Amino acid sequence: MNLKKVDFYLDWPGSKNIIHLRRFITENLMNKGEVIRWSIEDIKDSVESLNIKKIRIKAVLANPVNSKI
Amino acid sequence: MSISPTIFIIPTGIGCEIGGFAGDALPAAKLLASASGCLITHPNVMNGGSLSERNKDIFYVEGYSLDRFAKGEIGLKSVKQQKIGIIFDSSIEHEILMRHLQAADACVATLGIDVDSYVLTKEPLGIVIESESQGISEGLIENPDTLIEAGERLIEKGITAIAIVAKFPDNTDLIETNSYREGKGVDPIAGVEAVISHLISKYLKVPCAHAPALSPIELNENLDPRAASEEIGYTFLPSVLIGLSNAPDLIELTDNNENITLHPIDIESIVVPGGALGGEGVLACIERGLNVISVKNKNILNLGNHNLNYPKLIEVDSYFEAAGLILALRQGINLKSIKRPLNKVQELNFNK
Repeated sequence: MNLKKVDFYLDWPGSKNIIHLRRFITENLMNKGEVIRWSIEDIKDSVESLNIKKIRIKAVLANPVNSKI
Repeated sequence: MSISPTIFIIPTGIGCEIGGFAGDALPAAKLLASASGCLITHPNVMNGGSLSERNKDIFYVEGYSLDRFAKGEIGLKSVKQQKIGIIFDSSIEHEILMRHLQAADACVATLGIDVDSYVLTKEPLGIVIESESQGISEGLIENPDTLIEAGERLIEKGITAIAIVAKFPDNTDLIETNSYREGKGVDPIAGVEAVISHLISKYLKVPCAHAPALSPIELNENLDPRAASEEIGYTFLPSVLIGLSNAPDLIELTDNNENITLHPIDIESIVVPGGALGGEGVLACIERGLNVISVKNKNILNLGNHNLNYPKLIEVDSYFEAAGLILALRQGINLKSIKRPLNKVQELNFNK
């Protein structure tokens, strides 16, 4: 097993209810590896689209699928 | 009076004014436990180096498992006593190891805790601390497999809860460490500690907690009282053993043959520091429509309800206020009845 820190942004559609946010993030993270630890670092409005929020995620993954993450 | 089960989280390594040091949120936890009748919290809140205490109203659950509980994946089962095993990082020097083993013996002799056995990892854990200056405490371990293998060995021998003691580098940034000791900075090793205990929780599914092994450091006469409990003695192990001694068993909810003391559906509220709403436990409670009580507790994050717009979030100024709020929820008192101005009862009509 190897561990890797990742730090990336996800686009969150502003029209979605906040109750779906956790699953939205974890489904994305699980595609990248086995999730050990994560949290939202920041949420900002997108400069490209009014309806998109940029969510910054920091996580620690085991056995990351893509070493370029 | 019925209870109002409440989760209490103070995230590790974000420099919280209360709870960002060494067990300095324990008094707040006792207050909230008294108000709610049932508090579920994690080692970062309860562990004060050599100091901690058991409380019949507090469930001690490691952060990864606490998040799983918030998500509704596991239940908690009270036990009278856990059979504790200790994993020691094989890079710990002999003298420091002896100090830890004597602390474990003391917990058996003086507190009646069942510390059964220990194991040394086959390889050093390889701690890597990566905290940014004045940023969130982060880091990794280089050899996670050796940690899991040591835990599996303990479980094979009948251990039901695991304490982990990892060796932290002696070259940890002294300026950062002293800043923390003087109450000004973020605990530089907290992030790696969380990774270590999360690995045991994820892959072995038993109660666990971590204590760092550090070489003695020079006396600091400007020590902040909130960090003082880490200056007592040679190890931080006693608080971990006290917490684990009666930590609840973690019951997978797919199993239906166990008595569960506390089911996730019993949870009514979660208490978290303002600005620290981006953790999985908080978002899981939001997903389930629970009360989120956000307490003013200065830290380095700024993720508040201006980002989330969650309607059941209540902001309060102190843990005293949070305790009053929980007590009102526990008693079924309408929170609006205690605030002013008090609005009249509204008429609903059939027009939209």
